[in-house]
Amino acid sequence: MEKYIHPFIEVCENVFRDFIGAELTAERPFFVDKKDVHDWDISAVIGLTGEARGAVVISMKKNLALKVTDMLTETEHKDIDDEVLDAIGEIVNIIAGNAKRGLEEMFRLVISLPTIVRGVNHSISWPNEQTRIICIPFKIFDEETFSLLLAIEAAN
Amino acid sequence: MKNVLVVDDSRIMRNIVKNTFTSLNIPCEFVEAANGNEALLQLSEKKIDLVLLDWNMPQLSGIDFLKKIRAMPQYAELPVIMVTSEAARYNVIEALKSGATDYIIKPVSEKSFKEKINKINF
Repeated sequence: MEKYIHPFIEVCENVFRDFIGAELTAERPFFVDKKDVHDWDISAVIGLTGEARGAVVISMKKNLALKVTDMLTETEHKDIDDEVLDAIGEIVNIIAGNAKRGLEEMFRLVISLPTIVRGVNHSISWPNEQTRIICIPFKIFDEETFSLLLAIEAAN
Repeated sequence: MKNVLVVDDSRIMRNIVKNTFTSLNIPCEFVEAANGNEALLQLSEKKIDLVLLDWNMPQLSGIDFLKKIRAMPQYAELPVIMVTSEAARYNVIEALKSGATDYIIKPVSEKSFKEKINKINF
């Protein structure tokens, strides 16, 4: 799994720097237990198909989603509206699309359109029971955090 | 005044693309579409001088839109620059083989736009 993680960390840091103007600090990745309860307010999901199957998910709290959208649009957002959904979806789309470059020696991948899941304590259903999910936590704006969740399995 | 068709399903991205293009001080008017089908409609209604085209969109994707218009003689020479997050080399090659004039990987920058626009003498 480690060989898949590095392209995503690098791309995530670059995308937030170049697209949002924010520096990230990647923390230690860990395997996620599907039974774990999270307290994210919004997640954006991109499906991966082609020579591998899986998904890339970015999850964050509402306040961070609003702040990131404010920075992208240079307007203030007070609640999760269509523009916030658009912003978070576009961020995960750019991360997944750019990460394909770092993975191209291993797989030819096709990425789906982003799907947004929202709501307090929402959960993500992953493709199957065997899929191992890696969570890469990132620190942003000193004190805030978000997670990039990643599951990739070579297709049979 | 030249017309630039910006095709992207993200309204935020369309605005970012327009703002970045505007910073080049090239006089033009923008026409927008949220997918390939809307873009086909805009092409049939207006004289378009340049298309800035996303790849992943609902209904009709950017790559399918590109293949469609390159099969139409009236759009054979229309400059189409892909503006997409699809960064893998095999995607770039597919787009160029399908008739893309050039390719910009998101996130976009003024520098990348300037380079590509200079190349096509827009």
